Amino acid sequence: MPALGNALLLAAFIACAYAIAASVAGARRRSTRLIESGTGAYYLITALMTVASGVMVHAFVTNNYAIKYVQRYSEAAQPLAYKIASYWGGLDGSVMFWVFLLGVFGSLAVYTNRERHRELIPYVVAVLATTQMFFILLMVVHNNPFSTFLTAPPRDGRGLSPLLQNFYMAIHPPSLYTGLVAMTIPYAFGMAALITGHLDDAWLRAVRRWTMIGWLALSFGLTLGMLWAYEELGWGGYWAWDPVENAGLLPWFTATAFLHSVMVQERRGMLRVWNVTLVITTFFLTIFATFMTRSGVVQSVHAFGEDRELARLFTIFMILIVTFSFGLVIHRLPLLRSRNELDSWVSREAAFLANNWILLFSAFFVLFATMFPTLSELVTGERLTVGPPFFNKWMLPIGLALLALTGVGPLLAWRKSTISNLVEQFLYPVIFAFVVAGGLVALGVRVWSSGVCFALCAFVFGTIAQEFIRGAEVRRAASGSDRLTAMIGLVSRSKRRYGGYIVHVGIALMFLGFAGEGFKQEAEKILRPGEQFTVAHFTIRHEALRVTSDAQKQMITGHVSVLDGDKPIGTMEPAKWFYAKREQEPTTEVAIRRGVSEDLYIVLAGYEAADQSATYAVTINPLVNWIWLGFAIMALGTGLALLPESALAFVAAKVPSGAATASVLLLMLLLPSLARAQTPDATRAVLRKQLEGEILCTCGCRRPMNDCPMEPNCHGLDAQRAKLDKYVVEQGMERDQVLAAFAADYGTQAILARPIDKGFNRLAWVFPYLVGLVSAAGAVVIARRWSRNAEPEAAAPASQEDEALRSRLDDELRDLD
Amino acid sequence: MSAKALKIGATAAVVVAALSGLLFSTLREDTQFYKHVDEVMNDPSAWHGRRLQLHGYVAGIERKRSSLEYRFNVQSNGSVVQASYTGVVPDTFKEGAEVVLKGTLGADGFHVERNGVMAKCPSKYEPSKGVLPNTSGS
Repeated sequence: MPALGNALLLAAFIACAYAIAASVAGARRRSTRLIESGTGAYYLITALMTVASGVMVHAFVTNNYAIKYVQRYSEAAQPLAYKIASYWGGLDGSVMFWVFLLGVFGSLAVYTNRERHRELIPYVVAVLATTQMFFILLMVVHNNPFSTFLTAPPRDGRGLSPLLQNFYMAIHPPSLYTGLVAMTIPYAFGMAALITGHLDDAWLRAVRRWTMIGWLALSFGLTLGMLWAYEELGWGGYWAWDPVENAGLLPWFTATAFLHSVMVQERRGMLRVWNVTLVITTFFLTIFATFMTRSGVVQSVHAFGEDRELARLFTIFMILIVTFSFGLVIHRLPLLRSRNELDSWVSREAAFLANNWILLFSAFFVLFATMFPTLSELVTGERLTVGPPFFNKWMLPIGLALLALTGVGPLLAWRKSTISNLVEQFLYPVIFAFVVAGGLVALGVRVWSSGVCFALCAFVFGTIAQEFIRGAEVRRAASGSDRLTAMIGLVSRSKRRYGGYIVHVGIALMFLGFAGEGFKQEAEKILRPGEQFTVAHFTIRHEALRVTSDAQKQMITGHVSVLDGDKPIGTMEPAKWFYAKREQEPTTEVAIRRGVSEDLYIVLAGYEAADQSATYAVTINPLVNWIWLGFAIMALGTGLALLPESALAFVAAKVPSGAATASVLLLMLLLPSLARAQTPDATRAVLRKQLEGEILCTCGCRRPMNDCPMEPNCHGLDAQRAKLDKYVVEQGMERDQVLAAFAADYGTQAILARPIDKGFNRLAWVFPYLVGLVSAAGAVVIARRWSRNAEPEAAAPASQEDEALRSRLDDELRDLD
Repeated sequence: MSAKALKIGATAAVVVAALSGLLFSTLREDTQFYKHVDEVMNDPSAWHGRRLQLHGYVAGIERKRSSLEYRFNVQSNGSVVQASYTGVVPDTFKEGAEVVLKGTLGADGFHVERNGVMAKCPSKYEPSKGVLPNTSGS
């Protein structure tokens, strides 16, 4: 197997070389055959990397400890999901995963754009293949994930670091990589445009979409990283300005800047050099992020360890990127001249420009502060460090300024805003912001930064609501339909614009959550059983300390009952887990009680077996959950903006006026009755049945209750069924409670068909979103088919005209209203 | 064109100068020296009252009964300094553990600030994993 993996990597390397050579030669000689052969070779790389990934995952799943990488990051007792996640758990595998992902995205991008941007494709392939070649080179000469033991392989692996055995950690790196990798595609298109000189705005269209995808994935990865830090690390916060977190944030800043400034180029033909520069910078920063986390240049919690050789290779690659890219930009400067000048500083262009500067400055600042220890050691020989307070001091005002611009930007007109339309546009949002600010002062909020942040959030919400309402009004007047239908029609006609506004709502909600940080409360105390202490309005009582264990680990759990004022609100169970293979690194299992207004966050910080006492660190985190909610809304908005132009056309075209409102009303009527349709008894029976599949029979067959071969003469089964009835039907417990009760009764989780896996229980949380996404995708596909069949010819010219008309209308409407 | 370039250049210069001025002035307040125990103990009085990140190895941990007050020694290359800390320590804070402490040096020893203890895990597997999270340079 490892030999096969090695062979695949080498083959992919050769295929890269061929893809580059054939594409470039083909483009220069204008030979379609060569170009197609290069593109084919590029698809081949993806195929090879997919097979290689399959080999790697296979090795993990079958516990092939002859491979060093597998031995190091996996062990037999590890749950299957984490065995697979171990693929990207270490340095070598993560590089391989990176190449695999880039292959998949690159192939997708090449495939979808092969007709539309025919002249760019060979160079796109060449740039993508070069990047991939570099990473494969890294693997082949330096970090081969398939290298094997020369001596006899060990019997068992060392296991993935327990900190990484967490649901979010299993999906956080892939989504972050997805984001970083997707940024390579805009770069490849940008380079191709520069090389060929086809610098009209066509290449931007392909690029914009991919940047959006990458941006969404990057945001997702960063948010998951925050969730992971919050739930798993147990220090009560979610962002510590750790170098690795910052590394992911840097390209996010520049990509955000690009997504804004690209609009200026599309609308006004300005900022063309700037946009190319942003694309290059974003790509460079993704490589730099990889470099930072893998070479040991900066020290961090989750860097991969120090590696000088790797650092050298990366440095060479980065120097090449910068020289080549900016060399090309300078070479093409004459073609990149701006078509327009900035008319006025009170215009949307100017707002975008300001937004860009601030974002770029943020990126520069974070980079500087992250590298500061390294830089100072280089310059003065003295290692100086800066901590989170320094970051916060700067990023707080920067963040607030950005938030303000989020509100201001959409209110300004392109070209130039007149005084009267300034008043018109700003009046209501500003009033709203001041009302909120006044209310806050009256309520006695004294944390100025949070207060300003709340007021600015109100301003942004006001702005966006006003945009939606005014747009819908205009459309309603024009089409004569009702408000809601007009609103949906409006959104479906300019998805990017209104999708963007929804993203802004999400961002403002996240800021709301960040502002909650200002009201955070922390306390810690040692408690003996029965003792209690009070933080804010919560009283925490230590009931007992219990020790349990399963195949992988020993668990020490503090049982705490919590009172809100005098009212008991439940029990919480913070714990410490000691994995058998890594007893020196216990993991902290935080107990969190989530709420709309605040989270109660309890950590078992220490314990004393002798007197059963426990040290609890308690944090009250106001508004944290709005960050996650904000992200969900942001994703929704980005998804909307990403939809193809025709996806929602049927809404505008086919649905009769009033239909949308009617159907929403109907749905609202139906929903409660649907909910009522399921009687409690029926759900109980379903739950009971489901649990029979999750709890083992005790007759010794080691099978779930519903699958016992001794049935119907099984003595163990009868006892189990009676117990299950007692818990489910009489006491009305939920699934998790029943499982916990069984585990408690038998003193071990061995009674369960699957161990209670906290991490993967959270899938339940993701599931509705997943269903929503899938059904939304389905609806889009169906809708597209509908709208295509109905009016094949009539729609096409109309929508083209629409495009031009809409942009003109947009400008004129603004001046009018 | 050249007048415009001049204008832009001048604006850029002013902005850059102002920002870097601000940057360095704030930097001075917030930087901490990253030092090993022996470097500091060569001339302790020079470091009195300054914020430091102190690197060393823990020995002789004492904890007042039923409290979160710790006293311990930090050493490296033969130099020792006594340190005091109140609060929760990371799981990896043990005898012999490699630590980085944030705090100030006084005549009576090194005072570690709140949440200022970072301990590296003694495991040899993946040296950078499993350090206390609340760190930026350990």
